Amino acid sequence: MSEYAHPEVLVSTDWVHEHLNDPKVKLVEIDVDTQAYDAGHVPGAVGFNWQTQLQDSVRRDIASKAEIERLLGEAGITPDDTIVVYGDNNNWFAAYGFWLLKLYGHEDVRLMNGGRVKWLNEDDKELTAEPPQVTPTTYQAQGEHPELRAKVGDILKIIEAGDHNLVDVRSPDEFTGKVIAPPGMSETAQRGGHIPGAKNIPWSSAVAEDGTFKGADDLRQIYQNGQGIDPAKPTVAYCRIGERSSHTWFVLKYLLGIDDVRNYDGSWTEYGNLIGQPIER
Amino acid sequence: MDHRTRVYDDVTELLPSEENPSPMVRLNRLTPAPETFPLFAKLEWMNPFGSVKDRAASYLLRDLEERGELTPDPEGGGHPDGNGRRPRGIVEPTSGNTGISLATLASARGYPMLAVVPNKVPLEKKVLLKIAGAELEVVNDDLCPSPGMGDGSINLAKTYAKAQRDRYAMPNQYENEANVRAHIETTGPEIWRQTDGRVTHVFLSLGTCGTVTGLGRYLKEKNPEIQIHAVQPTEGHDVPGLRNVRQLEVSKLFDPSLIDEIHEIDYEIAYTRALELARREGLLAGPSAGLIHEGARRVVERGGAGFGVLLFPDNVFKYISNLIKHVPALAEGTTPPNQANQANQAEPVHRDHQAYQTNQAPQANPTNPGGER
Repeated sequence: MSEYAHPEVLVSTDWVHEHLNDPKVKLVEIDVDTQAYDAGHVPGAVGFNWQTQLQDSVRRDIASKAEIERLLGEAGITPDDTIVVYGDNNNWFAAYGFWLLKLYGHEDVRLMNGGRVKWLNEDDKELTAEPPQVTPTTYQAQGEHPELRAKVGDILKIIEAGDHNLVDVRSPDEFTGKVIAPPGMSETAQRGGHIPGAKNIPWSSAVAEDGTFKGADDLRQIYQNGQGIDPAKPTVAYCRIGERSSHTWFVLKYLLGIDDVRNYDGSWTEYGNLIGQPIER
Repeated sequence: MDHRTRVYDDVTELLPSEENPSPMVRLNRLTPAPETFPLFAKLEWMNPFGSVKDRAASYLLRDLEERGELTPDPEGGGHPDGNGRRPRGIVEPTSGNTGISLATLASARGYPMLAVVPNKVPLEKKVLLKIAGAELEVVNDDLCPSPGMGDGSINLAKTYAKAQRDRYAMPNQYENEANVRAHIETTGPEIWRQTDGRVTHVFLSLGTCGTVTGLGRYLKEKNPEIQIHAVQPTEGHDVPGLRNVRQLEVSKLFDPSLIDEIHEIDYEIAYTRALELARREGLLAGPSAGLIHEGARRVVERGGAGFGVLLFPDNVFKYISNLIKHVPALAEGTTPPNQANQANQAEPVHRDHQAYQTNQAPQANPTNPGGER
């Protein structure tokens, strides 16, 4: 049984429980369901709203560096804090938040394995609806890591060169173009299908029955032996709007230890709207 | 309380019991072997709040009361009572019927109620919950299900119950044995008495599994030969309140040993058969009853004798929007001809009609097959 490549970025619910009163550990909840935080959260956790706080509200883009600095400052976080992110749906948007924080250079970010559902269902773990006591700070980002992000220009070059692993983490029906988006989703595209050369490994392939990540051996078996992801090659993960792919990005980069992994946050809702670009079905 | 005159002091006296059972009605047309295998529909919508869930809801509420978990707030506003106790109400995940029964009972007793409801629940049920006095929290369920994610509405209700336990107690119909007890003490004895012990087959649907587990335990003890047949809609279904077996892991009350057979049935039949029950039997049954009827039909058509009881959970009134979605022709002719819009005219008029006569599921309103959203 081998270890994850970077086990330090994943913490257990018990670890979080033991560090609830640690002033250097800051908890951040990010959910798909933006009602969940108000209903109840881990004591001391602040809640970020992916729709209004983690993306630009006017143009289509991730939140700017200045916006993230302001958000983290208001949450009382400093650059040398340990940020533990968790959320619903097996940490979909928590992983997106993790990616964003890494992109803007926060050093010590971790994910709570199993997310809020695991915490909720453990009897010794408390939840509260009380807002946390926060002393605002002035947060200054410590350098950026644009190499964690793929943009559409990169994707076009990758299709041309064919020298990357391209991982499409959506459902098989989205991959084959049977549907453009899961039912009821407002973000969509003009065409269904996938980026030429992509392999379909649904994000949930990485998740065990209890909502935690599968072990390193299982993950290696699924991604490398099973689906032929070559760990020596640079890799890009994408989905529909870039949140499920953050989850897989986390798996590939930190659990499997592939060095160069980027998240293509434009994802299918960008690529599937391009004119004149090739699509596979 | 006098069940002969049906004059009562309190609406809760109308709740079903062996002395006041929900009625059973013989099927006379949609019955393949009326002589050798009669089928009786037990009309659970005749319960005071309109569904089989009146049984579980009243037991769940009584269970919370007996455990001292609830504090009334008859005037509303959440102020402490004369003894300084703050009101404590109910939070429950519900696809509608349990919520409607619970909310009405809670209102009658002065408890606040928060219903956590999956978005796919029909508008009628959501509004009924509000009419009954519940607060509503709607959850976008089934986004992209995966292991361990659980059910969004159940998790959100649990969150309220855990984070705000001073305000909410959660009956938890998916785990609470009171749900099973309701059927051991009411539905089971009713059926046994109403059929004079002749029942051989019971047909029902699976949701929390309180009904199947309670009825199974009671009736199989009376007569181990009695068969329990459960129906489940095919995957991807939108029959409110029902779960197929893949979704059943959320219920701790599911006991497969009590079920003789599970019939998986194309969920479109739920809707077409509900129409047939209305038009040919005069039973205004809801879609889950349609599915249950199909299960019974299949078993009777295998041959052999029997005596079947079909537990029809509720009536069709709450499913108008679902029915229109599956049988678009129902919306036709509901406005004067000169106001009929293009979309209505474009629908072939008799498509659904043919479908229900031949027992085929219609290809009604495929939900975005090529993804044109």
